[in-house]
Amino acid sequence: METKVGRDVLAPQPARLVARGFRLTPVLMVLPAVVVLLAITVFPLVFTLRLTVMSWELTTGFPPQFVRLQNFARAFFQDPRFWNAMMNTGILAVVGVGLQTLIGMGLALELHQLGRLRTFVLSLLLIPVMIAPVIAGFQFRMIYNDQFGPLNYLLDRFTGGRFHGYAWLADPRVALGAVMFTDVWQWTPFMTLVVLAGLQAIPAELLEAAEVDGATGPQTLRRVMLPLLLPVIVIGVLVRFMDTFKLFDIVYQLTAGGPGNVTETIAYYTYLEGFKFFSLGYTSALAFIQLVVITVVAQVFLRYQKRVRAGMAT
Amino acid sequence: MQAPRELHVIKWDFPPKFGNVTVNVVGDAGHNLAPYEFWKDHFPKAGITIKIIEVPFEGVYEKEKTEFVAGSGAFDVVTFYPAYVGDFASNGYLEPLDEYMKKQPDSVWNPHQEDVLPPFRELYNKWAGKTYALTIDGDAHLLIYRKDLFTNAAEKAAFKAKYGKELMPPETWEDWLQIGAFFTRKKGEKLAGQTLERDFYGSAEFAKRGFSFAWFVDRWAASGDLYFDENMKPQINSPAAVKALQNFVDSLKNAPPDVRGYGYDELRDALLKGSVAMVVQWTDVPKKGANPAESQVVGKLDYGRVPGWRIGGKVVHRAMMPVGRVVAVASSSKNKLAAYWVAKHIAYDMSLEDVSTAFTGLDVNRGVHFSHPEAYVDFKSKAEAAAYLDRVKEALGDGYPEIFIPGAAQYEDALDLHVNKALAGQETPKQALDAVAQEWNAITDRLGRQKQIDLWHQALMSYKVAGLIK
Repeated sequence: METKVGRDVLAPQPARLVARGFRLTPVLMVLPAVVVLLAITVFPLVFTLRLTVMSWELTTGFPPQFVRLQNFARAFFQDPRFWNAMMNTGILAVVGVGLQTLIGMGLALELHQLGRLRTFVLSLLLIPVMIAPVIAGFQFRMIYNDQFGPLNYLLDRFTGGRFHGYAWLADPRVALGAVMFTDVWQWTPFMTLVVLAGLQAIPAELLEAAEVDGATGPQTLRRVMLPLLLPVIVIGVLVRFMDTFKLFDIVYQLTAGGPGNVTETIAYYTYLEGFKFFSLGYTSALAFIQLVVITVVAQVFLRYQKRVRAGMAT
Repeated sequence: MQAPRELHVIKWDFPPKFGNVTVNVVGDAGHNLAPYEFWKDHFPKAGITIKIIEVPFEGVYEKEKTEFVAGSGAFDVVTFYPAYVGDFASNGYLEPLDEYMKKQPDSVWNPHQEDVLPPFRELYNKWAGKTYALTIDGDAHLLIYRKDLFTNAAEKAAFKAKYGKELMPPETWEDWLQIGAFFTRKKGEKLAGQTLERDFYGSAEFAKRGFSFAWFVDRWAASGDLYFDENMKPQINSPAAVKALQNFVDSLKNAPPDVRGYGYDELRDALLKGSVAMVVQWTDVPKKGANPAESQVVGKLDYGRVPGWRIGGKVVHRAMMPVGRVVAVASSSKNKLAAYWVAKHIAYDMSLEDVSTAFTGLDVNRGVHFSHPEAYVDFKSKAEAAAYLDRVKEALGDGYPEIFIPGAAQYEDALDLHVNKALAGQETPKQALDAVAQEWNAITDRLGRQKQIDLWHQALMSYKVAGLIK
C-alpha cells in the first residue's frame, strides 16, 4: 500500500477525482442542514398531511383508518365550533393587530422625537414582549379579577363607586375584548419597535426636503413617512397576523375559551382536539387548514409589499 | 410544609428494602401531591427515591396520555382522575394490581380494598373486573352553608314574613333559588344585623368552563336519567334536564357578577371570605373552612345534602362525584413492585393522615376515614368533625358518577361547553342540551358505536355493583 506524506499529499490529483471531489464537497457540506430540515420540517409536514385523510382516535386504541376528505368536510360543514374559533381568531387578527399597529405607530413616532431617553423608554416598553404569554395571561387574570383586581379597584375609586366589581372575563359581551386587550398590551411594543426601525431608516434628506418644500407635520407623515414605512409595517402586521393564529397561552390562562366559547381561538380549539380528545386526524386537518389560510394571506401581504416597493423604486 | 402527626391507626410495615430504585410519580401540581412531601422519610427506608413530576390540574390527562402513547416509560406511579380509568386500562397503559395486592405479608402489600367505599372501589379502581388503581381522593359534592345566617333570629323572621315558611337550608333546587334571592343584598344593606361593606350574594356556582357541567348534573341526576340509554342514545336533553339547566341559569342571578369565571378556587374563596351564603362544593372545603389561616368564617359553616327535586312526594337527592383521584402503576414502569408499594403507601397506609388535614385537598374514601373523627384536628371539636363526616357519608350515599368510558373527555367537554353557553346566554337550556345530544351521537359514531355500546354496558355493570343504579 502506498502512503503519501508531506508534499505528496498536496500533489495534483487526476482530473476525474478532482471533478468528483468538486461535486461532492458542497453536497457533503449542505447534507447536515438538509437532513435537519427534512427531519424537523418536511417530515412533520408530510406526516401531518397524511393524517388529514385518516381517522385516528387515540382514546379507542383503533388503528388509523383512511377516511378520504371527511375531516375537512367535518370542519367546513358539520362543526360550528370550528367556524366560531376561526371567527374569534379573525376578530383578534383584524381588530387586535389593527390596534397594535395604530398604537405602535403612535408610540414609535413619539419615541422617534425623543433624544437620549429613547433607548431607555424603548427598553421599558419592550418588557411586555419579553414576558412569556402564559405569565402575561396570569397577570391579567389577576388584574381583571372582579373582587380584588386592581382594574376594578381603580375604576371603583375614580367613579365614586358607580363602576363596581365588573366581571371582565365572565361577561360574554366583553370577554373577547379582554383577551384582545391583553394581546394588544403584550405585542404593541413589537409593532413600535418595527415602525421605529423603519422611521430610523428614512433618509434625513427626504424629511429635510419636505420641510424645505413647506410640508406641514401631518403632510410629511402622510406623503413621505407613511409610504416609506409601509413595507416594514406590512412585515410587522404579517408577523402578528401569523402569531394570532397561534394565540393559545393567554386564552388558556384567562378564560379557557369561555364563557361558552366566545373566546375560543382556533389554536385553543386545535389544542383541545389534539391533546384533550386525541383525535389526531381531525386535529391535523385543522392544522392544515390554518397553514393554508396563513400561507394565502402571507402571499397577499408579500405581493402587496412587493408592489409598494416597486412603486417606491419608480 | 408541616406534615400531619402520624396517627398509627392503620397498621403497616415497610417492604424488604428495594435496591435504591427511583420511582417517578406524576400528578396534578399543588396540595394533592403534599403526601409525598409529608412522608418523604419513609421512602428511603424502603430503598426508594421519589421523583415528583407536577403537571397543571387541567393538563394531567394530556400529559399522561401523551407519555403513554409515546411509550416513554417516564412515569412509574400515575395519579389521575378516575374518569380516565377506562381509557387508560382498556388501552393497556396500566398494570393490573390484583396479584400485587395478594402478596404476603399482608401488612406490607394489602391495601384493604374491602374498606374502600363501593362507589370508589367499583368505579374509580376497577375496569373489566380487574383492579387497576387505588383511590386517594374520594370526591363528591356537598352543600355548605353559613349556619350563622340561617339561625339568625332577624333573618329567620324576615324570611318567614316574606315567604311564609321557616328559613332552612335548601332541600330542593327551588329552595336554592328562593333562599339565594333572599340573601342577595347590596352594600350598605343589613345582613344578620350588620351593615354590609360590600355586596353579598345568596349563592355561587362553578360556572367557568371545565367542570361547570358537574353543577348541572347535581341538578339533573335526581331525575333518575342516566347519560345514555342501553344503545348509547343520549338522555341528556329530557324535559327534566332542561328544567335542571334552567334552574342553574336562574341561580346566577343570586351569584357574584363574575361567577361565570368561578372555578374551584374562586368558589371556595367566595364562601371562605364571607361573600356568599351557600355553595355546593367538594367535600374538602369544610376542612379549609375550619382553618383560620384560610377562612374568615371559622365556626360559621354547616353542611348538608346537595339539594334535590321533589319526585312522587319525596325529595330525591343526587351529588355529583366529579374529579377524584386515584394512583396506579404504569405498565411501562421498570420498577413496578416499588411503584406499587409507593401507591399503596399513599392510598392506604398514610391515607387517614392525608385526608384529615387541611393541607391537602384529598377527601375521605374508606371506612377507616369515617371511624376516626379525632384525626380531623382542624375542626374545633371531635363532635364537629363527626358531624362533618356524617354529612360526607350522606353525600356519598347520593353519589352520581362521571361518564368513565373511553371518550369521557370528549363527551364531558361537549356537555360543559353547551352548559356554559346556556349560562352565558348564548343558547337556551333546550338548545344547549339538544346540541349536546347531537354532539354525543357524533362522538359515539366517530369512536365506533358498537365498541362504545359495549363499554357503556360495562360501565352500567359497575354502576350496579356500586349500588348507584338498580
